[in-house]
Amino acid sequence: MHIPDGYLSPTTVAVSYAIMIPLWAYGFKKLKEKLDEKTLPLLGTLSALSFLIMMFNVPVPGGTSGHAIGTALIAIMFDPWIAFMAVSFVLLIQAVVFGDGGISTWAVNSFDMAFIAAFVGYYTFKYLKDKTKFAPFIAGWLSINVAALSDSIILGIQPIFWHDAAGHPLYFPFGLSVAIPSMMIAHLFVFGVVDGAFTQIVYSFLQKRAEQKIKEEVAI
Amino acid sequence: MNKKVKVALAVLAVMLLAVPIGLLTDAPAWGEWDNDYYKKVLGFIPKGMEKFHSFINPILPDYSLPGTNDVVGYYVSAIVGAILVFAIWFIIGKILAKKHSNN
Repeated sequence: MHIPDGYLSPTTVAVSYAIMIPLWAYGFKKLKEKLDEKTLPLLGTLSALSFLIMMFNVPVPGGTSGHAIGTALIAIMFDPWIAFMAVSFVLLIQAVVFGDGGISTWAVNSFDMAFIAAFVGYYTFKYLKDKTKFAPFIAGWLSINVAALSDSIILGIQPIFWHDAAGHPLYFPFGLSVAIPSMMIAHLFVFGVVDGAFTQIVYSFLQKRAEQKIKEEVAI
Repeated sequence: MNKKVKVALAVLAVMLLAVPIGLLTDAPAWGEWDNDYYKKVLGFIPKGMEKFHSFINPILPDYSLPGTNDVVGYYVSAIVGAILVFAIWFIIGKILAKKHSNN
């Protein structure tokens, strides 16, 4: 889902920054409200986990691979705005230091993997947490799938709008009918399951610890 | 230290050690191919893709350290990336602390 430079038309890039800059500004305001020295160590660690889980490439049939993103975990442990900012930072580091995802496409990548994934993950969990113990799994699974859908639509519209007189695409060449199924099948059945499992497992580790601590405090 | 942080750090340590598992496939992600892929599949590279192809030269391209083997490069990338993530939050923490004390 890390769209490289050159894949999106300058118009797409301009629109994406016009949307994302106010969202980042608002997100930064939210950080000011919600963060303090007590929450920062856990947030830093979960952000580093998001960076690391994205290095676990999983192959799928068809000669491609993919990975989980770990955005939902941060969203359900903290807040969707904080998760959005955290994963945006992770994506910036990936683009600048590792060449994973472009600079011009940082806004689109942040919209998909940070913004959409954080809000879908957070509200899915919120809605399901009292209904099923698998709420973290479903939140992780759904969050990356909606992000992948958005990514495939943004890629898939490129050849529709931006081509030369001969009909040759100028940017990403494959249309919606190729991009959506290719992205979604792999995410619905593989990467979504990995993200769901990651969210569920780490969430239950963290909650178990928290409950133990409460029990110990009550016992004292 | 907060217990949740300890657990999260333990998970981080395990994942850091296990990170070369991510190298088991060298298949690219769908929609993240290099330009030669398009040359091969379409017979041409879309003009805009060729023109705007990467702005910068990353220090650790594709999570590798030029001149070392894949596993070393991947470990170095994982450590550098994790440190940079912590560094960003450390800096933001400092900025926020300053703002709070100003209020």
